[in-house]
Amino acid sequence: MVVGDIATGTEVLVIGAGPGGYVAAIRAAQEGLDTTLVEKDAYGGACLNRGCIPSKALITGSGLAHEAGNAESMGIHADPAVDMGKMVEWKDGVVDRLTGGVEKLCKANGVNLIEGTASFVDEHTARVAHGGEGQGSESIEFEHAVVATGSRPIQIPGFDFAEDHVWSSAEALDADTVPDRLGIVGGGYIGMELATTYAKLGADVTVVEMLDDILDPYEDDVKRIVRTRAEELGVEFHFGEGASEWSEAADGGYLLHTETEEGEESTYGVDKVLVAVGRRPVTDGLDLGEAGIETDDRGFIETDDRTRTAVDHIHAVGDVSGEPMLAHAASKEGIVAAEVIAGEPAAMDQQAIPAAVFTDPEIGTVGLTEAEAEAEGFDPVVGEMPFNASGRAMTTGHTEGFVRIVADDETGFVLGAQIVGPEASELIAEVALAIEMGATLEDVAATVHTHPTLAEAVMEAAENARGQAIHTLNR
Amino acid sequence: MPVKEFKLPDVGEGVAEGELVTWLVAPGDRVEEDQPVAEVETDKALVEVPSSYDGTVEELFVEEGDIVPVGDVIISFRVGEDGEGGEATAEADADSAEADADATESAADADTESASEPGTEPEPETPSGRTFAPPSARRLARELGVDIAAVDGSGPGDRISEADVRAHAEGGDGGSDTADSGSDEAPAPTPTDVGSGGRKSAVKKRGDDGATGSAATTAPAPDAPEPAGRETTLATPATRKVARELGVEVDDVPTDETRDGEAFVTGEAVRAYAEALESGESPEPEATEATEAPEAPEAPEAPEAAVVDADASAPEPGSVDASSSAGSTDETVPYRGVRRTIGKQMERSKFTAPHVTHHDTAEVDALVEAREELKPRAEEEGVKLTYMPFVMKAIVAGLKEYPSLNSELREDDEEIVLKGDYNLGVAVATDAGLMVPVVESVDEKGLFELAAEVRDLASRARERKLKPAEMKGGTFSITNFGAIGGEYATPIINYPETAILGLGAIEERPVARDGEVVAAPTLPLSLSIDHRVIDGAVAAEFANTVIEHLEHPLLLLSH
Repeated sequence: MVVGDIATGTEVLVIGAGPGGYVAAIRAAQEGLDTTLVEKDAYGGACLNRGCIPSKALITGSGLAHEAGNAESMGIHADPAVDMGKMVEWKDGVVDRLTGGVEKLCKANGVNLIEGTASFVDEHTARVAHGGEGQGSESIEFEHAVVATGSRPIQIPGFDFAEDHVWSSAEALDADTVPDRLGIVGGGYIGMELATTYAKLGADVTVVEMLDDILDPYEDDVKRIVRTRAEELGVEFHFGEGASEWSEAADGGYLLHTETEEGEESTYGVDKVLVAVGRRPVTDGLDLGEAGIETDDRGFIETDDRTRTAVDHIHAVGDVSGEPMLAHAASKEGIVAAEVIAGEPAAMDQQAIPAAVFTDPEIGTVGLTEAEAEAEGFDPVVGEMPFNASGRAMTTGHTEGFVRIVADDETGFVLGAQIVGPEASELIAEVALAIEMGATLEDVAATVHTHPTLAEAVMEAAENARGQAIHTLNR
Repeated sequence: MPVKEFKLPDVGEGVAEGELVTWLVAPGDRVEEDQPVAEVETDKALVEVPSSYDGTVEELFVEEGDIVPVGDVIISFRVGEDGEGGEATAEADADSAEADADATESAADADTESASEPGTEPEPETPSGRTFAPPSARRLARELGVDIAAVDGSGPGDRISEADVRAHAEGGDGGSDTADSGSDEAPAPTPTDVGSGGRKSAVKKRGDDGATGSAATTAPAPDAPEPAGRETTLATPATRKVARELGVEVDDVPTDETRDGEAFVTGEAVRAYAEALESGESPEPEATEATEAPEAPEAPEAPEAAVVDADASAPEPGSVDASSSAGSTDETVPYRGVRRTIGKQMERSKFTAPHVTHHDTAEVDALVEAREELKPRAEEEGVKLTYMPFVMKAIVAGLKEYPSLNSELREDDEEIVLKGDYNLGVAVATDAGLMVPVVESVDEKGLFELAAEVRDLASRARERKLKPAEMKGGTFSITNFGAIGGEYATPIINYPETAILGLGAIEERPVARDGEVVAAPTLPLSLSIDHRVIDGAVAAEFANTVIEHLEHPLLLLSH
C-alpha cells in the first residue's frame, strides 16, 4: 500500500475525459450508474485542447485574414495584420469555455471527477495517482471500466518534440508567432490543415511526404483539388521523401533533411519543423495487463461491437481502441459503452462514420466511394454536382470542388458521398443521415433544399445520379 | 441436410397472388413430391399446391388466411439425401421409425437449434455489412434479439422499419428460427441480398415472413381500410411519391408506426391501402358524408350475386376479423380473393358500359308443358332437365337474329366484334361468391347435353373446382336470380360481353287473356345491355324473339 492510499468504489470507472470518456461518463451517470471519471491532464482531451477545436479556431482565423486580404475581385482592398499571440489567446478562450463546459456537464450529471493518473491493479481495481507531488493516490474498485485514454502524436527518430523548433500539432496550435518558414513532415490531414493555416498566415510552407500524394486515403480528384489550392497558397510539396534529421543552418534557422527510398537526399531551409505523421494510442502506465487486457501490435485495445475488451466488463472507446481515430467516433463509442454497461441494447452498428478535413477547400466524406461500393458487391450509380454550377458557391467566391453521391443502382440506397468544397464538413452530415436512415437517392432528390445554399448541391448530385439533374448535365 | 425452400408457384395465368386458405401439412410432416401441401385461393379458383420435394416439412412461413404473392417462399422442407434422414421430428412418425438415426445429422440439428434460437442468443451480432434500416430499427432488433440481417424490409428497396423488426420478432419463434441456420454463417446481408429479393437464402425467406406480418401490423385492416384522416403524417419523399402515384392521401393511410409521436407511413402501407381501395369498396374519407355516393344504388348491383349467393356478405366466414374494428360491434370481412375479383369485375363493367335494362315477361304455359313432357326422358338418360337449356336455346335464337347482343366492343380498335360462337355464361352461387362458368357452343348442343353440362359446371363451381379456363370465353351471360326468388332485377353485364339476361322465377301470375285475368305461369325477364353497342329498340326486339321462342318451344326446333 502506498501511503495515503484510500479505497473507494464505483460502478463505472472512466479513464480519460476526452470526447470518448466524458461522453461515456455522462451517459453512464444519466443511466443512473455511480460513475467516476479520471483525467490526468485536461477535460476535453486532445480534441478540445490540442486538436479539433484549436485547429478549427486557427483555421478560421487564418482563413478570415486571408480572405480579407484576397478579396480585390469583390472590391475589398485590405492587408490584414495578424497578431498571432492574440489569435492564440482567443483560441485559448474558446478552448477554456468548452473544457469548462465539459467539467460542468460532468458535475451536473453527477459524475465524480478525479484528477490523476489511473492504472489497473486487477480486473476490478484501479489505482489513481493524484496530480501533483505528494497528493497521494487512491484505489478504486469498479464494476465496469471504460478506457478512453486517447492518442498522442507519433514522434519520429531524430525529431524530438522537446526541441523548441520541433513541433507536434499541439505546439503548432499554440505558437505565439508565425514562423517565416515551416517544414511539415507528413501530408495527412493534420499536416494539410496546418499547412493551409500557416500558408494563409504568411509562412513559407514546405510539406514532405513519403507517399506520392497528400491525404492518402482519399480519391485522386479529391486530393488534386486540395493540393492545387494549397499550391496556389504557396505550399511546396515534396513527395516520396522521408524526413531523416534536422541540422542547424548558417542563417540561424534549421535544415530539414530528407531522403528518398533510393537514398537521394535533399535539404530544406526551415525555422520550425512540424511532425504530423499520425497518432498512436496511449496505454503506457495503464498496466492493462493487470486487468487481463492486451494491446495489438499497433498498441490498440481490441474491442467488439459493444466496445467490450477481452475482459467483458472493461470497455475501451476512442482512439485507444483503434481506427477511425475521430472524436465523433469516440463519442459514439462512449455512449455505446455506457449503455451496454447499463444493460441496454446499444452497439456500434452505424453504417458509416463521416469524416472531415478542414483544408481549403474542405473535404467531407461518408460511407463508400464508388470503388469501395463495387468492391462490396454493389452496382453503384454515381451522381455529381460541381460547385462551379452552384449559385451559392459563386457568391462565396469558392467554386472549387464537387458533391459526389454514391448509391446502389438497383435499390437507390445511398451508400456514400465525397464532398470537396466550401463547407463540405457541414454538408456531409445530410448524407450521413441519409445513409443511416436507409434513404434512397429519390428521397434525397425529392427533399426540398433551401435556395440558395450549398446544400442544394447534395440534392442536385442525387438528381444527377438519377439522370434528372436540372443544373448539370446528366451523365 | 439441406433445407429447401418452396415458393408459391404461378397457379394460373396472370395470377399474382393467392390467399393461403388451408395448410394440409404441418412442420415435421413427411411429404412426397407432388403431395398437396396447401390450398390456395386465387382470384380465379381454389387450387392445391403440390410439393416439389420429398422430405420433411421444416417450417411454414405464412399463416392461413395470408395473401401471398406468387414467388414468395411459403414453406421449407428438410430434404434428406436419401429422403429418409433421421430428422428428429420425422422419428415421431411411425412410418419412418425404421429410418436409422443418423448420428451426425441429429447432432447437426441440435447444433442448428441451439445456435440459432434467439432465446439462447440474447445478443445478435452487429452485421458487418450494410443494413438498410434506421438506427432505431437496428436497436430494436438487438432489443428483441432479432438478427436484422434476417429481417426483410417493407420500405422502398426493402428498407427495414421498426414494424418490420417487430413483425419478424413475432413471426419468428424458436422453432421457426431453426430454418434460419443458414443466416448464422452469414449474418451480414450481402449487397445482393439487401437489394434484389431475387436471392432466396434462408435470410430472405425469413424476411418474407416478416414482411407479411408487417403489412398486418402497419395496416391493421388492409383489406377494408378506413381512412385514418390524420392532420399530419410523416413519410419519406419516396413514400409520398408512391402515394401520389396511387392517388392516396398519406394522411388516410392507416399506420401503427410513429416518429416522435407523429404517425409515420411507409411505402408498403401506402401500397397496401391503395390496393384495398382500388378494389372498389373504397371508403373514401368523405364517404360518411355521402353527398353523392354514386355507387349507392350499386348495392343491388349484384343481382347475380344476390341470385346466386345466399351469403355473399360473408364469403369467408373463417377469416372474419372482428378484432380490428375498434370497439364497435362491426365485423371486418377481408375483401380479397374471389370477392375482390367479383367487385373489380362489377366495377369495371358498371363504370365502363352504360347499362340499360329492359324488362318483359314471357307467358310460358307451353314451355312448362314441354319440360314436363321431356323430363322423364331426360331422367332416363340420367339428366335432370331444368328450364335453363330452353332459355339458352331461346337466347341463341335471339342472338342469331340480333348479333349485336353477342358481341364485344373493342374501343381501342374502334370496332365491335360480333362473335361467331354462342358461349353462354351461367352465373352460379358459391360460398365464396359469384362464379360464371361458360357453356360453349350452345347452338351445337342438345337440351339434355346442355342440362348435364350446366349441372356439372354449377356443382364444380360450388366446390371451387372450376378451372380458370372454364370461366373464360363467354359471349353472353344468364343470371337466374329467380332460383332464389324475385321477378325483375338490373343485372350487370359480364364485361366485355354486351348483354346479360336475368331470369325471374317461373310462377303462376295473373295474366290478362281475352279480357280476363287468369293465372298462368310466367317468366319475368330482365335484359341488361351495353347501350354503347346496342340500342333499346334492338334489346326489345331481341327480348321479343327470346320470348317468342319461350312461349312457343317448338320454334326451338328450328335452330
